[in-house]
Amino acid sequence: MPADGIPTVRVPVAELAGTVERIRHELGHNRFVDLTAIDRLTREERFELVYLFYSMQHNTWLRLKSRTDSEAPSITPDIPGANWYEREVFDLFGVRFAGHPDLQRIMLPDDWQGHPLRRSEPLGSEPVDFTVTREAYGVGSQVAGLGEEHV
Amino acid sequence: MTSDARHLTPDTREQSERELLTVNMGPQHPSTHGVLRLELQLDGEVVVHCRPVIGYLHTGIEKTFEAKTYVQGVVLTDRMDYLNPLGNNLAYALSIEKLIGCEIPERATVLRVLLAEFTRIASHLMFVGSMALDLGASSPFLYVWREREKILDFFERMSGVRMMTSFIRPGGLVSDVEPAIVADMSRFLDEMPAYIDSYEELLTANPIFRERTEGVGTLSADEALDLAVTGPILRASTIALDLRKSNPYCGYDSYAFEIPTGTVGDCYDRYLVRVAEMRESVKLCRQAIDRLPEGSVRTEDRKVMPPPREELAKSMEAVIHHFKLWTEGIKPPAGEAYVGVESPRGELGFFVVSDGTGRPVRVHERAPSFANLQALPKLTEGGAVADVVACIASLDPIMGEVDR
Amino acid sequence: MAVTPDGKSGSPGYLLSRLEDWARESSIWPVTFGLACCAIEMMATGASRFDMARFGSELFRASPRQADLMIVAGRVSQKMAPVLREIYDQMPEPKWVIAMGDCASCSGVFNNYALIQGVDKIVPVDVYVPGCPPTPDALLDSLIKLKERVKLDSRTARHGAQTGPGVGIPHEPA
Repeated sequence: MPADGIPTVRVPVAELAGTVERIRHELGHNRFVDLTAIDRLTREERFELVYLFYSMQHNTWLRLKSRTDSEAPSITPDIPGANWYEREVFDLFGVRFAGHPDLQRIMLPDDWQGHPLRRSEPLGSEPVDFTVTREAYGVGSQVAGLGEEHV
Repeated sequence: MTSDARHLTPDTREQSERELLTVNMGPQHPSTHGVLRLELQLDGEVVVHCRPVIGYLHTGIEKTFEAKTYVQGVVLTDRMDYLNPLGNNLAYALSIEKLIGCEIPERATVLRVLLAEFTRIASHLMFVGSMALDLGASSPFLYVWREREKILDFFERMSGVRMMTSFIRPGGLVSDVEPAIVADMSRFLDEMPAYIDSYEELLTANPIFRERTEGVGTLSADEALDLAVTGPILRASTIALDLRKSNPYCGYDSYAFEIPTGTVGDCYDRYLVRVAEMRESVKLCRQAIDRLPEGSVRTEDRKVMPPPREELAKSMEAVIHHFKLWTEGIKPPAGEAYVGVESPRGELGFFVVSDGTGRPVRVHERAPSFANLQALPKLTEGGAVADVVACIASLDPIMGEVDR
Repeated sequence: MAVTPDGKSGSPGYLLSRLEDWARESSIWPVTFGLACCAIEMMATGASRFDMARFGSELFRASPRQADLMIVAGRVSQKMAPVLREIYDQMPEPKWVIAMGDCASCSGVFNNYALIQGVDKIVPVDVYVPGCPPTPDALLDSLIKLKERVKLDSRTARHGAQTGPGVGIPHEPA
C-alpha cells in the first residue's frame, strides 16, 4: 500500500484493456481521473503507465499500473476523457496506444524530434552566465547546480 | 449538444451542396483565455467540428521538477494554474507530506484552508470578470478587479508577492500571517457578500447575459463523467462531487458549507455554480478565522522545515539540520503519493514519485483544466459560432495547467 | 533631437515631426498578447486601480494591424514562437516591444527545452521588465520609459540600438 493509501493494481500490458473494464464496471471505479507514465530507465519494460480511477459510490481512488516498452492498448474508445492523456504520454514519452483515434503530438510542435520527458533526454537548459561567475570561471561557464541536467 | 441552431434560418440545401468553412481561432485571440487554438469547421453559422489544439504554453515544468529539490519545486507549482497559486502549493505540499508522514500544526492547517479559500474567491472573481468581458459586458471586469486587488494586497502583505507567493510548503507555511492581516481579512469578508450581490445584480438577471448563456453548451451528467470533467462544470451538470466533502483534507470535514449544483448543465448553470461557490468560500473563510488557534505554522520535523533563526546561534544540531536542508533538501522516503484536492477548476493533484534522494523521480500534475477542455467539442458542436466564446468562458480553462 | 527636413527648429517640418512624436507617444495601444501569468498582471494594470488608460494605452487591440505595442506577457514556448513572430510582423511600423516578466526577458525559472530563452531571440525588444510576475507598478514604469523614448523620436528611437547598457534615457535635448 503506497504512502497515500490508494490501492494499487499491477497488470501486464496485455491484460490492460480487460482490467480497465473490470475496474470500471465490476469494481465500480467508473470515473477516469488520470493517466501518466514514469520512465524507470530499465532495459526492459521501461515505461510504467499509471492510471488513476475514482469510485463515485465509495469515494475512493484506485491506481492501475502496467509496464511496457513502447506499446499499450488505448482506452479512449471506451473513455473519451482519456484521449488527450494518451496523446500526452505518446508525445512526451513515446508510448504508442493502439486503437487511439488521433494519436498525434499534443504539447510539442508536430515536427519535434524526441520525447523529452524520458529520463535519458536532457533538460535542455542553457548555461547561465552571471558576471560574478564570469570573473571566477570565465565567460559562459556553467556553475554546478545552475541549470543542471538531470539524467 | 446544444439546440441553439433554433435561432438560425434552417438551411434546406442538400448536404452535398453545402461548403464547410474552416476558421482558425487563436492562439492569439482576445477571448480564448490564454493561448488556446481552435480549428472550427463551420457550416454557415453552425459549428460542425471543433478541434482544440493545445501546447502553445508547454513549459516542460514536469521535467524541470526532476532537476530541482522539493522546495524549489514549490516555486514551479505556483505557475501552473496561475489563478490558484496557493491551491497548487497546497496540493503539492500535501502529496509530499503524505510521503514523509510529518505532523502539521493546527494553525498551519487552518491557515491553509483560509488561504486556499481566499484564492478560490480570487479565481472565481476573475472568472466572473472575464466571462462577462468575453460576452461584451465590460463593467463587471473592473468591479471584480477592485475586490481581487484587495485579496492580492493581503497576499502581498503576508508574503511580499501578489500572486506567486509559494507560501504553502511541505511542512507547513513559510511564515506566519500576522493578526493585523487576519483582522483586515475578516473585515473584507464582512463586505464581500454585498459585493457578490452587486455582480449578480449586473449579470444574473441580465436578459442579454441569460440569452447568451442559457441553453448554450449543455453537458449532460453522463457526458461529463465520460470526459473526465471535474469541478464546477461537473457540479453544474448535476453531479454533486466536491473533494472537500467526499475526500476531506486539511480538516474540511469539520467546516460547514454547501455544494452548489446546477440543474441543466449549460453555461448559465456553470456561472451560477461558481458565484454560489464564492459565497460558500466566504463562509469557509469566516469559519477558519473564527477557529484560528495560536501556535507554530511549521512542522517540528527538522528534516522538512528549517529551524528558527534564533536556534542557529545556540544549537549545533540546528545548524546541521539547516545545512542539510539547504544542500541536500528534503529527502522523502522512496514511494509515490497522490492527494486530490478541489481547485477552483476541479480535481487537482500532484503525483510525486520519490526514490529517497533530494530530487524527485517524477512529478505529474493532474490538471483539472486539461480534462475539462476535452469537453469543448461536445459543448460547441451543433451550436452557433457566436456561442463558442461563451462555452470557453464557462469552462474557465487555464492554459498554464493545460499545457504545463 | 527630432530629425527635421531642413535642419531648423521652429520650421513647419520640425513642428510637424514633434507633433507626430507627441501623438505616437500619447496613444500607444498594445495588442492583446497575454500568454501566461504575466497576462493576469497586465489585466491588473488595465483595471481601475493601476489604469493604463491614463498613460495613453486606452485600449488593447485584438488585431495586431491596429496596435503599435506588443507586450509579450508570459512564457513563449517553442510552439508559440512562430506565432509570436507572425503577430510581430503583422504590426505596422513604428512598433515597439516590451518583454514583460522574467520568462519573456530570459525564460525566468524555466531554463529548459520547452521555452524560447528570452523573447529577444526572435523579436527586437525595447524594454525589459523584470519580475515574476512584475507588479503592475513595474509594468507602468516600463511603459513610461518607453514613452520617454518614443517622445524623443518616434520614428528612429527603437529597439535598443540607440542607448547602450548603463546609459540613461536622455530627456529633452538641449
